[in-house]
Amino acid sequence: MRQSGIYAIASKDIVFESFDGEAVVLDLTTGKYFGFSDSGSRLWDALSSGVPASELVGAATGIGALDAAAIDGFVSQLLEFGLLAAVTDGVARPVSSEFLAQLAAAREPLKVDIHDDLADLIVVDPIHEVEEPLGWPAVKQAN
Amino acid sequence: MPVYNRERYVVSALRSLVRQRDAADLDIIVIDDGSTDGSAEAVRSMMRGNPCIRLFQQSNMGVPRARNAGLRQLPPDAEFVSFLDSDDISPDGRFKKDLARFRANPGLELTYSLMTLVERIDDERLEPAVDSPTMTLRGISLSAAVFSRGLVDRTGQFDEDFEQAEDTDYLLRVFEAGPNYELLDAVALYYRRHAGNVTKEHSGRVRNHLRAIHKSMRRRKADPSRREVQGIFELKSPADWRML
Repeated sequence: MRQSGIYAIASKDIVFESFDGEAVVLDLTTGKYFGFSDSGSRLWDALSSGVPASELVGAATGIGALDAAAIDGFVSQLLEFGLLAAVTDGVARPVSSEFLAQLAAAREPLKVDIHDDLADLIVVDPIHEVEEPLGWPAVKQAN
Repeated sequence: MPVYNRERYVVSALRSLVRQRDAADLDIIVIDDGSTDGSAEAVRSMMRGNPCIRLFQQSNMGVPRARNAGLRQLPPDAEFVSFLDSDDISPDGRFKKDLARFRANPGLELTYSLMTLVERIDDERLEPAVDSPTMTLRGISLSAAVFSRGLVDRTGQFDEDFEQAEDTDYLLRVFEAGPNYELLDAVALYYRRHAGNVTKEHSGRVRNHLRAIHKSMRRRKADPSRREVQGIFELKSPADWRML
């Protein structure tokens, strides 16, 4: 079952931040960005920091307990979008009481939305790290 | 034009504007944000003979507050607003092209043009140096825009919570609100890349950019009439070229 696993951020090109408890994730290679519902933000924080998906089954949200199918679907999306990758030798992080309290306050179902309206902008500028020795603009033809 | 310690570049930036004074009745508002170098004197040297340049000085408060200070100095009869950073160059003829579009389309509120990122600028000709690498795109830049005064008033101030990416936030707010705009395929900015670019510090840049995106998603969630900024930003260089 997929949700039993431990996951990690898929690559260094996946960057993310939380603002007021809401996660925003950006894929620097595709320029797509991802927004989460409140419960989705909580699960992103947990999964991306090594909490096994299996530990989250049955956890309470403000609108009911998370069942295995919902978590499985959510994890599948994160894998499909290339935001998380399964790790085989990862160290499982325990679920914290703070996480459980925040999740219990969530009022929206698990959801992640994908947006590509800023894709070209994000791929080129302004947030890529410029490798100084390469000079600039440092571009290559994609394969 | 906000200025902070740009004595090396600010005269070129101002020259690139005043050479276009035949296109419009220019009012160039310069906000010196507490420079400690010779920026203010460099601006004053340009003011001699160019009464369209007005200089205001304040203690250092950062770019968003400097931009807001500039907005507060807009004269009541200003019809159009644009921005130029103190290290960049406004290509000759840029305002003439945009203002012609506003004349042709009376409901127009915004023109949004291309920008060329330039490694080396010839400060005599105010053009990219012949051997300089360049990249042209429709990116995030306040200088790519000419705003109608009504749109500027409706959009409001720059968000002073941002240390950087206040321009991204401002433009997302503008485009989400669905203004009547035209995308022009002309270059409206030579963006000078140099060792002192404030946008080069990486971790803060990512965080501020993500903050702008987060605020945009939040606004759209709260108000479904606001739209995604689809089809505005694009890489004009061939699509299969990517940053390394």
